[in-house]
Amino acid sequence: METIRLYLHSMRMLIRSQMQYPASFFMQTLAQLVMEGGEMMAVILLVDRFERLNRWEAGDLFFFFGLMSVTFYLTECFGRGITGNFPHLIRTGQLDTFLIRPRGTLTQVLCSAVDPRRITCIAVGIAALVMGCNMSHVLWTVPKVFLMAEAIACGFFLLLGLFTIEGIFCIYAVKSVELVNALTYGGRSACEYPVDTYPRPLRALFTVLVPFALTMQQPGSVILDKPLFDWPAWTAFVSPLSGVALFGLIWLWFRKTMQYYRSAGS
Amino acid sequence: MSYIHVKDLEKRFIVREKRKKGAFFREKKMINALQDVSFDIEHGELLGYIGPNGAGKSTTVKILSGILTPDGGEVTVGGLVPWKERKEHVRRIGVVFGQRTQLWWDVPVRDSYDLLKDIYRIPGEEYTARLKELTEALQLDELLRTPLRQLSLGQRMRAELCGSLLHRPELLFLDEPTIGLDAVSKLALRDFLKWENSRYGTTILLTTHDMEDIVALCSRVMVLGHGRKLFDGTLHDLLGRYDTVRTVTVRYEEADAWPELPDNAPAVCDGENLVITYSPAEYPTAEMIARLQGAGTIRELTVQPRNIDRLVADMYREMDL
Repeated sequence: METIRLYLHSMRMLIRSQMQYPASFFMQTLAQLVMEGGEMMAVILLVDRFERLNRWEAGDLFFFFGLMSVTFYLTECFGRGITGNFPHLIRTGQLDTFLIRPRGTLTQVLCSAVDPRRITCIAVGIAALVMGCNMSHVLWTVPKVFLMAEAIACGFFLLLGLFTIEGIFCIYAVKSVELVNALTYGGRSACEYPVDTYPRPLRALFTVLVPFALTMQQPGSVILDKPLFDWPAWTAFVSPLSGVALFGLIWLWFRKTMQYYRSAGS
Repeated sequence: MSYIHVKDLEKRFIVREKRKKGAFFREKKMINALQDVSFDIEHGELLGYIGPNGAGKSTTVKILSGILTPDGGEVTVGGLVPWKERKEHVRRIGVVFGQRTQLWWDVPVRDSYDLLKDIYRIPGEEYTARLKELTEALQLDELLRTPLRQLSLGQRMRAELCGSLLHRPELLFLDEPTIGLDAVSKLALRDFLKWENSRYGTTILLTTHDMEDIVALCSRVMVLGHGRKLFDGTLHDLLGRYDTVRTVTVRYEEADAWPELPDNAPAVCDGENLVITYSPAEYPTAEMIARLQGAGTIRELTVQPRNIDRLVADMYREMDL
């Protein structure tokens, strides 16, 4: 509870400090809209040309795109501390500042940044979701609302975990490793579409190794009443937890790695 | 057991060298940042930690403050092992890095303090009282509403110091706190540190390159070089060994006065002044003055020891640093 209060307090302050440069803020927010609008355009063109992708219809595709966008940009917005300058914190030794305060490292890193510019991207995602739900005639029930929330929350943690890997590499190499971007940004782009449209190796990668399919698409497909891989519907309640579990493992790995932290500078 | 106990502290860094031509892997080199460093510090001590760049000063401070994990040796601060019981430990310490800000850049200083209050869970009344006391002592009143980025370096250092003392730490680490400050700011900062130390018995460990800091503040000095502790004692004892040269500047009423001096005390004319360098060990100062008086009527006379920075430079050279 107290940690949440600290988080909210930090957010208030960070947003106020970003508003010190209002022109820059609004320009960048607008730029985000153009960028994410472009991504959505790609889906619209695809649907326009092919109408369906395997067994997925236009509405389903918008739904999956929206689900990924909302989750990804919520992570970028509220998890900015990790998705944004985490490697930078480690490389420059700024992490020291957090280590000399009596709070958890994760708490403080999350409290260190927020990115409200992503609001436009989240809005695009929500628009796609609403559009998709309408076109696919989704009938909302309480379990489905729960599934939706679970998918987004677990996806949030999965993404945080993946971004943390970059930080871990930074501790060893003191330099950011672009390879990890293939999993984070690459994963986002790939998993805007249902994984069963991909060949087997890619499907395995995004289901088993980096479980975007399990955390977001499995519950998503159950909401659409077209279960992915034809698994029973109840699995959709359990499978998203894989994202949280992976996050937990990666964070333990991070804690273990911290003893090699070298604290650059000064 | 003493408040801070350090025994056989060791820290190694692995440095990857540039890849040699034809080699597939880069060669790794082990650098001993700290070796067999041991010392004890009691409550309320004001201790200076000096040594050339790269001697391991900051590394020691980072280990003592729980940021780095050492590769060997034991460290306890108030009974806690810093890197193992980090959260418990850092609640009781304050750290100021001269070259790294810990406050938030774009918000008024006061807002940063309010957030620190939440981070350290300082009770409301205690916070208000402490903030009032510190803003008075550090003359921060008018700065509290200013964003940090608009402060001058001296103002910022005062603001940082206040931020690191809000939770009343019993131990304060200062890593080059006077770096880049002007004379007035330096003096004010030193006065404040003395006040904090005597008022609350705060133990202060200071790393610096500014010998004046040490002269003004520290009763005890430690010298570190190549990761080893080379000296631990009073500044007086340390400098006594290297303080071997004196300079006398003398000015006579008569234009042509010229004292008779021994060979090992060369004299040089500098305008109307006569500048003589000599070693008090070979030639007692009293005898030197008597000779100078014998040569004519003295209008002005000063005797100076060597610049303290030079002494330290000599010392580093002799210790082969």
